[in-house]
Amino acid sequence: MERFLPILLEGALISAQVAAGALVLATALGLMLALFSLGKGRLLYWFARSWIELIRGTPALTQLFILYFGLADFGLQMPPLVAAIVGLGINGSAYLAEIFRSGIQAVGHGQTEAALSLGMSPFWTARDVVLPQAARMMVPPFVNYGVQLLKDTSLISSIAAPEIMFHARNLVMETYESMTIYLLVAAIYLTISIPLSRLASYLQTRTAMAR
Amino acid sequence: MNQFWAPLIEGLPGWLPQLLWAALQTLRLTALSFLVAVPLGMVVVLLRLSPFQPLRWAAICWIEVARGTPALVILFLIYFGLPSVFPWINLNSLTAAVVGLGLQGGAILAEIFRSGIEAIDRGQREASLTLGLTPRQTMVDVIAPQAWRIALPPVGNYAVGLLKDTSIASIIAAPELMLRAKDLASSSFMPMQLYVLAAVIYFFMSFPLALFIRRLERRITAVRRT
Repeated sequence: MERFLPILLEGALISAQVAAGALVLATALGLMLALFSLGKGRLLYWFARSWIELIRGTPALTQLFILYFGLADFGLQMPPLVAAIVGLGINGSAYLAEIFRSGIQAVGHGQTEAALSLGMSPFWTARDVVLPQAARMMVPPFVNYGVQLLKDTSLISSIAAPEIMFHARNLVMETYESMTIYLLVAAIYLTISIPLSRLASYLQTRTAMAR
Repeated sequence: MNQFWAPLIEGLPGWLPQLLWAALQTLRLTALSFLVAVPLGMVVVLLRLSPFQPLRWAAICWIEVARGTPALVILFLIYFGLPSVFPWINLNSLTAAVVGLGLQGGAILAEIFRSGIEAIDRGQREASLTLGLTPRQTMVDVIAPQAWRIALPPVGNYAVGLLKDTSIASIIAAPELMLRAKDLASSSFMPMQLYVLAAVIYFFMSFPLALFIRRLERRITAVRRT
């Protein structure tokens, strides 16, 4: 076990880095998609809707394979870690877009109307009235998405990204101690995912009570 | 672009029947895992809500561990880990995938069922108990008939997620769509075409289901508002 743990933790660090990179990408893309699907432009609306439905309708593993193996065949050979961040980031953008959109839509329409009729510009209405309230509602599902993303990083071992599962599989091939190694892996995931999901449910109760 | 379409059109007649057959295997895997997950979820939620504290704690541990671990790790534990410790357990990849996805699903469904049960006003439970119904009758005749309606849309969403998660079973070589796409991709050297085809097939399985659930959800919320 003393032998396995440092190697696995090294992999866990890569997992965390990939998750962080994908989270940044997914948040940026997700915000853009949410704005498109709430905005007035019909073309942008349809672009965002089809993006969201296509991504949510297909498995993350398939998306990763298209990006990594598929694009390589067309001359775009990405390093595994780049493909992992881009793939999980694109995958997450669709889920986050829906979280952002429903948060914004949950703020009563009357508030926007009231702010506008008080003479506030649409920009300030969004910034000072809608978004601060929407943000509070988005936080719990956002944290839940973070937990999901962390677990999904286990998939990138199959495109040879050197994260925790990848190291675990190599260790098993060397030592045959599959039970010990995979239990350790599970324990490492749990020490991150349980506190995060507890945090999410705590935040959720707090938001629910504030309302 | 021609580089994409020409080989696709040429290969399609050979690939499509195999991929569609594999899609049926994906549906079978999804259905079997779902059938394991639902009764398990019901048992776990009853333990979770039981008045006996050790049972409650056991259920909470189960839920947190199964939901906090990636499905891939669970599958590896069952498929590679178990036989290494108990040599008499020798599950084939399909059974391991069903058991693994079902075990995780049980924990996810238990939480969905719980939020359905807790959404029913506590007064109903108190009223039934006061009227002399047993706790069992209260659950079966009063709470459950109302709770399942609330739980139905999230259960459906879970099923859509499960359908997509079965792709992970390809990593332990369980027969399903992604595994077949991988095999065909490596024998034909056309990864792009085959993985895009696989994605299209997944989409046509999961999107109609998702649309149906959204309609159901709207109808149920509409009923609850009136």
